[in-house]
Amino acid sequence: MFSSLKKVFSKPRYITIAVLVTVIVFVFVVWFPNLRLIKEIIFNSGVSSISKISFLFSLFGSIKTNFSVISSIIAIIIAIMFGLNISLITYYIKTRQVIKSKSGTHLSIGGLISGILGIGCASCGTFLLTPILSLFGASGFLTFLPFGGEEFGLIGIGLLLYSSYVTLKKIPEPLVCEV
Amino acid sequence: MENQNTNEQKNLMISVAIIIAGILIAGSVIYSKGSNQPQDKKAPDVAQQQESTDAVRPISEEDHIKGNPNAQVVIVEYSDFECPFCKRFHDTMNQVMDEYGPTGKVAWVYRHFPLDQLHSKARPEAIASECASELGGEGAFWKFADRFYELTPSNDQTEASVITKIIKEIGIDAIAFTECLNSGKYDQRVEADVANAVETGGRGTPWSIVITSSGQTLPLSGAQSYESVKQLIEIALSEE
Repeated sequence: MFSSLKKVFSKPRYITIAVLVTVIVFVFVVWFPNLRLIKEIIFNSGVSSISKISFLFSLFGSIKTNFSVISSIIAIIIAIMFGLNISLITYYIKTRQVIKSKSGTHLSIGGLISGILGIGCASCGTFLLTPILSLFGASGFLTFLPFGGEEFGLIGIGLLLYSSYVTLKKIPEPLVCEV
Repeated sequence: MENQNTNEQKNLMISVAIIIAGILIAGSVIYSKGSNQPQDKKAPDVAQQQESTDAVRPISEEDHIKGNPNAQVVIVEYSDFECPFCKRFHDTMNQVMDEYGPTGKVAWVYRHFPLDQLHSKARPEAIASECASELGGEGAFWKFADRFYELTPSNDQTEASVITKIIKEIGIDAIAFTECLNSGKYDQRVEADVANAVETGGRGTPWSIVITSSGQTLPLSGAQSYESVKQLIEIALSEE
């Protein structure tokens, strides 16, 4: 398994994919609660470009203020794991000349969704989980969870780990014509 | 063969990009368009109402205001006494007022947004803060809020003795305070704040709206860092 990992990440292209996806997921997670504000600032012609950039960067500080310690760790792990995962799946699909790796992709997406549900400020509803539960009038359900919804983040990490494991295991398998 | 590989690689990258974009967009749509406000059995049914930060209730004498009421920039915060992130943001806002308050350019308005399904104690605590204000004046409200956020462990873990302690510290008559709590006279006021928070698009706490001198309203969700709030204030102040 480690040889497969080494094989994939010895190619700069796959490191780039992993880093890019990690950065995209992380930025999304941090900016997510303020997408409306970001839109207002970005499209405001009266605001200088420097102010816009400074403001966007300042929002990264919310990883400390708007996340619990566990939640921010989960967010970072989910972003890294998803980046690694997409990179591994890309390698697998490319080398196998197959259109998709069903199990790996599904697990990976499931892991990301579950992970995103579990991060942020579930206890105060500024992220996804509470609003989704509220749709069903069930946000009180969170009070029965020992970690207030962060369990979903852990499930997400588990799914992403399993997805990586499945993909890594498949990479060295010999090419055969399936019947 | 090389061309085929390149094409497949391109297709693959496009697929991956679409998957990521799809997830991100789906999440955004669910978050920004859904009728997903914190559920409160007393809250109005806002599912069919248009949410807009412009719906923020005009600042009035009834509001709790720190700083110059005619400031260029007014930050209206909707907060829940049991939310741990409101506790953090309260410190941030105090820091903001320490810097901008003396200049008269920024004012902070505190409104209530107890998330009843998550924090059953938050609403009675909001009412307690109103009683503190009635019996001790506007200064007592801010003293109550500052001290409460300092002492509360958050997440509905606050003991009733915390309020008793604060009331004693502020010098409010305990009997009059209990009478006020039992009178129900501030139920409507807290409910009005909750309804307005929801109308403006609040889904969780802390939920803030930054109002500029031209009347533009900017939504700020969550306990953002001091640097973010400062940047936002500077943007609002630079508005012509």
